Amino acid sequence: MNEFAGPQPVPRPPALATRRVGSPLAAAALAWIFPGLGHFYLRRPRTAILYAAIVTATFLLGLSFEGRLYSPEAGQPLTILATFAVYGAGLLNLAARLVSANPNGSILSVTYEYGCAYLLTAGLMNLLLMLDAYDIAVGRKP
Amino acid sequence: MKPAGSLIPVDHFLIMTIYALLISLFFALLWRNERRERVALFVKLFLALVVGALAVAWLMYPFPS
Repeated sequence: MNEFAGPQPVPRPPALATRRVGSPLAAAALAWIFPGLGHFYLRRPRTAILYAAIVTATFLLGLSFEGRLYSPEAGQPLTILATFAVYGAGLLNLAARLVSANPNGSILSVTYEYGCAYLLTAGLMNLLLMLDAYDIAVGRKP
Repeated sequence: MKPAGSLIPVDHFLIMTIYALLISLFFALLWRNERRERVALFVKLFLALVVGALAVAWLMYPFPS
């Protein structure tokens, strides 16, 4: 091989799949409304059912453990983040606020802290599902 | 132990284990695409959460609040 032949062409990596399977914004919005709905819209029904079961179970267990559905409080800046996390659960959160007799939970309950952790986790999981649905819709994830 | 208003009898370890189970399932589904990889990640995450929590609890045992 001639060492003075100049730089050899570098093989290009295969292009990422860019085929769209649905509107990214619609997928993300549906994913927020109810866990798994975005994946169902993207024609992934099995994954959608599993996600719906996991996030809904987490949320309902949080309510059962008398956790708190956070709202912003004056002088408590961390409650803004907690509110953002809980509102990530979409309709589950809104429905629970309407139906629940005590959306602030029961701080005297021995399971109060666990309930809060479950509720916050359910909301954050659903926010991740929104991002996942968006990535799938734009072809960034197989 | 059974929290008021709850139908589920629970204890601290059970609540933690259910939490670890749900988290592990969720991230195994989210982060992996192949079935075998998902099972492997699920087992790793679940063991890390449960064993890690027990290890931290054991380390904290000599330091009561």
